[in-house]
Amino acid sequence: MTEPAHPHPPGFDLIARAARLVPVHRRDAWRREWEAEVAWAWRRLRRDGPPTTLAVLRLRVRAASCLIDALWEKKETMTMTGLLNDLRHAMRGLIRYPTFTGIAVLTLALGIGANTAVFTLVDGVLLSPLPFDSADELVAIRHSGREGRDQLPMSTGLYLFYREHARSLDEIGLYASTARNLVSDGESERIPIQVVTPGFFRVLRVGAAQGRTFTEDEGVPGGEDVAVISDGLWESRFARDPSILDRSLDLGGRLYRVVGVMPPDFGYPDREARLWIPFPIDPTQAPLAAFGSGGVARLAGGQTVETLDGELRGLIGRLAEYFPDSGAPAFLAEVNLQPRVRPLKEELVGDMSRTLWIILGTVGFVLLIACANVANLLLVRAEGRQRELALRVAVGAGRAQVLRTFMSESAALAGAGTLLGIAIAWIALKLALGAVPADLPRVDEIGLDLRVLSFTGVLAAGCALFFGFFPLLRYGADDLGTQLRDGAAHGSTGGQGRHRLRNGLVVAQMALALVLLVGSGLMLRSFQALRATDPGFQAEGILTARVTVPTAEIEGDEETAAFFRVLREQLAGQPGVESVGLGSAAPLASGLPYYNVTVEDHPREEGELPIFANHNPVSPGYFETLGISLLEGRTFEPGDGASGRRVAVVGRSFAEQWWPDASPIGRRVNAGPGEWFEIVGVVDDVHFQEIGQVSDELVYWPTTQGEAEDPQSTRSMDVLLRTGLDPLTLVPVLRREVQALNPRIPVSNPRTMASVVGAATSRTSFTMSLLGAASGVALLLGLVGIYGVISYVVSQRTREIGVRMALGATAHSVRRMVVRQGLTLAAAGVGLGLIAAGALSSVIASLLYGVSAMDPITYASVAVGLVVVSLAASWIPASRAAGVDPSRALRSE
Amino acid sequence: MGVGRRFNLTYPTAAVLLAIRSGHRYGFDIMDATGLPDGTVYPILRRLERRGVLAGRWESEERARAEQRPQRRYYALTPVGEASMEEVVERFPALPRLFGSIDSATDPA
Repeated sequence: MTEPAHPHPPGFDLIARAARLVPVHRRDAWRREWEAEVAWAWRRLRRDGPPTTLAVLRLRVRAASCLIDALWEKKETMTMTGLLNDLRHAMRGLIRYPTFTGIAVLTLALGIGANTAVFTLVDGVLLSPLPFDSADELVAIRHSGREGRDQLPMSTGLYLFYREHARSLDEIGLYASTARNLVSDGESERIPIQVVTPGFFRVLRVGAAQGRTFTEDEGVPGGEDVAVISDGLWESRFARDPSILDRSLDLGGRLYRVVGVMPPDFGYPDREARLWIPFPIDPTQAPLAAFGSGGVARLAGGQTVETLDGELRGLIGRLAEYFPDSGAPAFLAEVNLQPRVRPLKEELVGDMSRTLWIILGTVGFVLLIACANVANLLLVRAEGRQRELALRVAVGAGRAQVLRTFMSESAALAGAGTLLGIAIAWIALKLALGAVPADLPRVDEIGLDLRVLSFTGVLAAGCALFFGFFPLLRYGADDLGTQLRDGAAHGSTGGQGRHRLRNGLVVAQMALALVLLVGSGLMLRSFQALRATDPGFQAEGILTARVTVPTAEIEGDEETAAFFRVLREQLAGQPGVESVGLGSAAPLASGLPYYNVTVEDHPREEGELPIFANHNPVSPGYFETLGISLLEGRTFEPGDGASGRRVAVVGRSFAEQWWPDASPIGRRVNAGPGEWFEIVGVVDDVHFQEIGQVSDELVYWPTTQGEAEDPQSTRSMDVLLRTGLDPLTLVPVLRREVQALNPRIPVSNPRTMASVVGAATSRTSFTMSLLGAASGVALLLGLVGIYGVISYVVSQRTREIGVRMALGATAHSVRRMVVRQGLTLAAAGVGLGLIAAGALSSVIASLLYGVSAMDPITYASVAVGLVVVSLAASWIPASRAAGVDPSRALRSE
Repeated sequence: MGVGRRFNLTYPTAAVLLAIRSGHRYGFDIMDATGLPDGTVYPILRRLERRGVLAGRWESEERARAEQRPQRRYYALTPVGEASMEEVVERFPALPRLFGSIDSATDPA
């Protein structure tokens, strides 16, 4: 009893070592218990003198059984709180290597962030249902005609016809967009207005937040002038005045009584909609062919888009029976009218969906590359941990446990990457929503929500599995046992397979990067082609703004014409103004009406389809200001007009279509009643509606049309000012001059023509910049991959290189050897990538303009570029290899 | 409370439980009393403790200090454990005879 306890009873060292396997929170107690037992047994053994060797050995063996207990503890805790513990352990491990962890997390965050951001767009625009009750029953109805002409949405005649006869329809609504001057408190503002049938709101199943929507008797001629306003308009113009209902609004000189205010989130047919008024339709006089409105309908119960489409097709075939005297048979024969029923969502989203899917695919590629990079990093790291892992296998950790180690580390990386990625996505979305193309629909419905976050979660889990899997493939438990036996310290055994795996990852990265680079290269070329396209006019140095004369201000047509004439003269005299032109539409800025035109020497029989054209009444100076080339004859001059010289100017395509072998000068056309207008000039074609497409069928008229005794004046015009100054400096000048003539006439939407053209190319530039950013990241990651692999190979082969140099290899030949290895990888990646890019080219083809999807220049330059930068990326490690000091390299072993 | 629902009543488990009931309360004592292989006893103790059949406690500090060794941890049957003994005896009727009566020498009190 007086003898002190033996400082080291046998087996204490083993207990201490095995304790490391026990989960931390149990470790101390576990160790104390075992030590107490062994200490007690040791005391008992020595109570009666020195113990026999056999007895000591016996105690040692018993103490060694603590390893089994420790492993049991570990297994048990792992199955209970194991994941969390493993994660904690993994995070501690990761924090110890900040560079590795930082690069991996950042790489992942970029990939996951980009995917989250783009998926948010895709989800908001394409996947989530429209914000209407039973939105999948909503359809849009349009029609197509000959040559796939798409400009035949809906007519009032067809609306009434379908409403009466189509059984697959529950309800149908008609809407048309226009704009009027809203005058209140002496302030005049031109606002977009939707003219809608009373059924419009019923189709969408949206009621007014206050008041009501329209009743049936408000939708016929002679019905009361009522209006429903948007929440936004109520806020901005009326400060949410609670007494708004029953107030009268002055819309272009006509008074409308407000009967309702819509809910805040309602904006249909587009989010610009601010005011709705009834569409007065006279059932006895609804023209069959006045295609100028949109149709929206709700399917009857159990009906589908296909059944409705089929029914409408059948109905149109029998249109002649219903309208025997309307010229319908000839009309139908000529137009070949076909209904096109689409889900409303598809109609709203339109061809934007392809762009969005492509972008999502693109960022998906980026994420794959990022994962491949992280997998490679993990492989490198795993190599440094071989001994640790081998030890674990030696003490009985199974394949499953090693898997958990890798997986928990992957999960920790993926988790951190995801958090950072969501932050990146959030910021990116904030920035991107300001820059999306104007025609991206449903932008206001976009946001990071639960759906998006669950997508991101799945993505992160996929990533973790992906790059946790590769190290396991190499370092599965069986392998490790072998490695330990064979002496894994040199990191040379099994190296071949390991290199193959890492090389494979790098080749895949390069191939993916090449596909993306080809894609963004093609978009860049499209953008260049679009920018280089001659739209038929010169956009630089031109200011445009819209001026509309309400009948309440100037009633007569003569006076209206005089107003615009005086305005033009006044503006022309202003300093800095080089030329002035007015037109009912400026190219790419405003829409043109499309209806029939009569051509004297191409008369149409009764019932025969009329000749259609886009009509643009313009003032003298219009062509000169826009720089539209005059090909023949003259342009408009003062004195041209309905009651003056009745003349017209036509576009080149129109002239070539109707007078292919002769000059159109002297031929006569008209678009309404009264004497003929004589063609006095032919101007070059203009890309009027879309930047990538010539608008044929263009006829320019003087600003007054109709009969000579009763000229009709154009009331809404785009004013164009050409200047050598910054065009926007002329905005105050324009406002001042308009106000000087009449202070209640508004000037709306002033902007430069250059910005109009810019907006027209915005989708291409948007797609291009997104693809560009994605492929930039892909390239960077691919290069990091090549650099990493070559660096690693060099560090592993230092000894071999030393031997080579000792045997007479020159620095040059060593460098060449290493660079060749990098280039082999790059070339393999480029080859694979070219094949993949070629296979995927059809996907992007529809987004391209002026360049083939197989454009050899793009493919070749991307391939060469990629090889060159890969050369640079392997040059650095190669130079390091060439600088190896043979004696040192040999000593280091 | 039936034993079967709490753990698999195998021969080693029954032996450990009976050994504890007859007063062998420390890990090494139980190993000696049952004659089970060294590596099997502790995992059984851990499992039974986690299932609430056994409760582990540290022996009094004075006793350990008097013998100049660390405190040992002893195991005792919980009420649940007591209740399950019936089933143990029923399943392995011959077993109780292998263990002697309660050994007061190892009583931790």
